[in-house]
Amino acid sequence: MDQTIYLIYIVSFVLGSIVGLLFSYKKYKLPFVSEKFDLVAIILSIIGWFLFLNSPLISFIPSYISITIGLFLVALVVGMRPGYGRYETLTGFIISLIIWIIRTVLL
Amino acid sequence: MNLMANILLNVIIAFLVGSLLFGYQRKIMARIQTRPGPPIIQHLLHTLKFYIKESTFPKTAAMPFYVAIASMLCAIWVSAVIVGPVIEGSLLLIFAIYALHKIVEHNAGSSSGSPYGKLSCVRAVFSAAAEVPLFAVLVIIYLKTGTMVIGEIINYQTINGPLIYAIPLAAAMFFVLILSKAPYSPFAITKGKDIISGYETEHFGVLRGYLMISESIAWYMLLWVFLTVFIGGLSPIGYLIGMVAISTVVAFINATTPILNPNHSIMMQVTFAFIGIVGSIILILI
Repeated sequence: MDQTIYLIYIVSFVLGSIVGLLFSYKKYKLPFVSEKFDLVAIILSIIGWFLFLNSPLISFIPSYISITIGLFLVALVVGMRPGYGRYETLTGFIISLIIWIIRTVLL
Repeated sequence: MNLMANILLNVIIAFLVGSLLFGYQRKIMARIQTRPGPPIIQHLLHTLKFYIKESTFPKTAAMPFYVAIASMLCAIWVSAVIVGPVIEGSLLLIFAIYALHKIVEHNAGSSSGSPYGKLSCVRAVFSAAAEVPLFAVLVIIYLKTGTMVIGEIINYQTINGPLIYAIPLAAAMFFVLILSKAPYSPFAITKGKDIISGYETEHFGVLRGYLMISESIAWYMLLWVFLTVFIGGLSPIGYLIGMVAISTVVAFINATTPILNPNHSIMMQVTFAFIGIVGSIILILI
């Protein structure tokens, strides 16, 4: 059962990456040149990393479902067209990491 | 879990994780070389792409050997998954599978009839002369633990601690072997860009897909064996972290080191093997 769940996580990550790649090629017509933040990508990244790292905080959904959704959203931003999504991923990760540290270490 | 379902599950995980690790490696290498690099999923998409491409066969190919050998490469690494994560069998079988891999590399190159494939085929024999001694690490593991069975080696480590502390030179030898199988590695002489794509040069469509699937599973399996034999039985997250860490180190080495001349590559690997075997035996005796 353990391995089946991990397979689901991996498949979720792969699907997220594919969707992210297709979505970003439609959205951005040019190679990565300007260093502007994409608001939608930031929101998706924060939600994704939050669900992935802090799934115990959302008690009304089983943790494997929230992690699966989280990984899909994380991959959606990580898997964007080369160059895009880097700062957004970093922002999402740092915010979720701070919440994780507060949850597990400080409280 | 049903054995067949367990095998299928492990093979799919090996393929997907191996492909993602290859993609991750390319990304790291690109960043070191100040390029954006392809998406992490690129290697996986590349593999799947070959299944919807037309399969053509060169006139010079030795049929049906040419087709059979590519399928065989896939089959032997699926067997490695069965021997490894599924039944935790003998390391000797993994060694046999690796030796078969070298033979298949050799035959894949020669069966296509391409001059580049033939050069790669000769290099596969060269590299086997160096990589098989590197796999002699198994003897050292046997001398230390008294067993070749992966399950028993895991139990040994649970009691006595990870083998990487007890026989570090053997672990270094195995790491060099892993490095040899990485794309763009200084030891990857069978697929050096001077011979186009080496033994894969004349493999198109489905056959290339088989070769790429095998490479991904092989990468996962080599990392799995390293982590299991030298660190111990880990949780899936532990394996993932370990595999990502080793892939990162390998990517750094590959990005900063040019491919070696075949003679230098072999001599260097043999030197590593010699130092590893002799040093480990001295360490065990002391």
